[in-house]
Amino acid sequence: MSKQVKMGMLGLALVIPSFLVLFVIVVIPIVISLLESFKDKNGRYSFVNYEHLFTDKLMRSNIIFTLEVTIVSVVLVLIISYALAVYMRFNNGVAVRWIRRTYMIPIFIPSVIATYGLIQLLGNHGWLARILLQAFSVESMPRIIFDKKGIIIAQLWFNIPFTTMLLGSALSAVPNSVIESAKDVGAGFLRIFFKLILPLTFKTLLVAVTFVFMGVIGSFTAPFLIGPNAPQMLGVSMEQVFGVFQDKQMAAAIAFFTFLLCSFMGYFYIQNMIKEERSRSA
Amino acid sequence: MLRNKARVLFMIALSLTFGVLSACGGGASSGTSQGSGSDAKPASDNKSAPATASAKPAEFSFYFTGSQNVKDLWDTLIPMFEKATPDVKVKPVYVPSGTGAQPTYDRILAAKQAGKGSGDIDLYEDGVNYVTRGQKDDLWDTLGTDKIPNLAKVDQKIMKDVANLAVPYRSSAVILAYNGDKVKDAPTTLDELYDWIRKHPGKFAYNDPSTGGSGDSFVTTAIYKFLPEDAIHNSDPAIEKQWDQGFALLKDLGKYVYGKGIYPKKNQGTLDLLASGEVDMIPAWSDMVLDQINKGQLPKSTKMAQLKPGFNGGPTYLMVPKLSANKDAVAKFLNFILTPEAQSVIVTKMSGFPGIQLANMPQEVQDKFKDAAAGFRTFNIGDLGKDISKRWQSEVAAQ
Repeated sequence: MSKQVKMGMLGLALVIPSFLVLFVIVVIPIVISLLESFKDKNGRYSFVNYEHLFTDKLMRSNIIFTLEVTIVSVVLVLIISYALAVYMRFNNGVAVRWIRRTYMIPIFIPSVIATYGLIQLLGNHGWLARILLQAFSVESMPRIIFDKKGIIIAQLWFNIPFTTMLLGSALSAVPNSVIESAKDVGAGFLRIFFKLILPLTFKTLLVAVTFVFMGVIGSFTAPFLIGPNAPQMLGVSMEQVFGVFQDKQMAAAIAFFTFLLCSFMGYFYIQNMIKEERSRSA
Repeated sequence: MLRNKARVLFMIALSLTFGVLSACGGGASSGTSQGSGSDAKPASDNKSAPATASAKPAEFSFYFTGSQNVKDLWDTLIPMFEKATPDVKVKPVYVPSGTGAQPTYDRILAAKQAGKGSGDIDLYEDGVNYVTRGQKDDLWDTLGTDKIPNLAKVDQKIMKDVANLAVPYRSSAVILAYNGDKVKDAPTTLDELYDWIRKHPGKFAYNDPSTGGSGDSFVTTAIYKFLPEDAIHNSDPAIEKQWDQGFALLKDLGKYVYGKGIYPKKNQGTLDLLASGEVDMIPAWSDMVLDQINKGQLPKSTKMAQLKPGFNGGPTYLMVPKLSANKDAVAKFLNFILTPEAQSVIVTKMSGFPGIQLANMPQEVQDKFKDAAAGFRTFNIGDLGKDISKRWQSEVAAQ
């Protein structure tokens, strides 16, 4: 046996266990729920669930609402995390030290507790409202809890730490020498940022987008507890359709649609990875 | 090439696993957040009843579901029973609410269809929906005073409602809980309540009916207000046509409830609003209110009132699968549950209503339930509740 074939077999042997796990816990359930989602009430195959999903006023507003929350959250998380990571990478001092020490804290707080904390903080008569009333006699605050804004704030809380960590590690991989040499030839900060730093961290940025997107679109706890009654995010709606209306097929259709949205994201991501790989091996 | 493929596979695996993990996370927390708040405790059930190989004491397994307070109740009652009846052992299996009452029922049904008895489930606790469902599937055993003498103490109307197939061992009712400092004359009829809501905009809240029974009760009561009285025992879908007037009322009330149409999630959601003083009146479960006043979570000024006609309340039932092999042992247990001593535990431990008629209980218990007991009604509308939630979601929540 040639060495190459041996290596190939080793490679396959290493991949197969994880592939099998993947197959059993991901691929099979997806296929089952896909089949389930095409069944109508009498067990016959039809498009009735998807028709309902895209024509029902309530469902359509749920989808739009979910996408709105997701996109706004992704954009905000990326802007804030990237700014934070860049700041931590290129500055030193007390502020940076404190940010570095504290920015991971949200990861260690269970999401239910964090969500209730947000309700206490931002609710109608919450701490923030009381502080504003005492200090600035601001009488009325916009509604944050039981509203889209509340969900987005919660998503920021959940997603910023990890994204910052991810981007931070990518930024630390940008060699100082590159930046210094660019500075030597007279490039300004903006120019360095757009010509060097951004392209060098673009791949990680894409990873971060994928992760935040999937995390937000599939989130449940925060939207369930602080979201409005209608429209709902898809996760909440799925739970309601499955658990309360007991319409398994409809829930499967929502689940599959959510999966499609996620795999759409994943597709671009993988596509980009392959391109990268090709250009490297070429 | 191979490396490339492996890498792609890895990436797919990574992204999919992440997606699935986050979905699982959602599922898990949905489990924890159902029921009344902090009921996420894995079933640690086998401790108290080691499976004895010797056949001396008859052992039966008892499946129950509910919030933590239900588990606490059985953790007290079962040792009491085993002490009093040494020849019977109970093997409790706790299914935390939101994680699978349905599978338990399905198990009993599947075992029957497969000809395997009752699937080792000898006693099962759930709401009236499962009693009626089991009635259709012919799953439950008919119970009588010959084996369970204490059944005579139970309200016979309730027994008739469930065709003697289940024991209503405790119940709780939805009542109106209000801030006694702010509300001086609480409404006593439904019309007065709706008037009160309109006159005090933003001071009343009921929870999303699909997330908790108290909001569900408010909604159901409003809908069935316009229907003949016996409609509450009718589970025929034909009746749904008569719901329109009720939904119109709820839609209209939406403008006056908390936040002009905000319906907090879960029974606890509205209780939190009452506790923080954001609203002055809510529908709530009597046992939760009493319990939280005792623990100081709700202010002492919180008062309760039952309307006339009342909100729905309902018993929780114990059912014996017809094919159970341990019916005699179960009958002894059921008889014990209906004694005033065991019933007193229900009152003290979880502030629930006794399942037996109040006249059989000590005087102090009778006094305690004076306010709440009067006139709660038992709704038995089967699967129609599902359609109510569905329609409420699209018509009232999304208006």
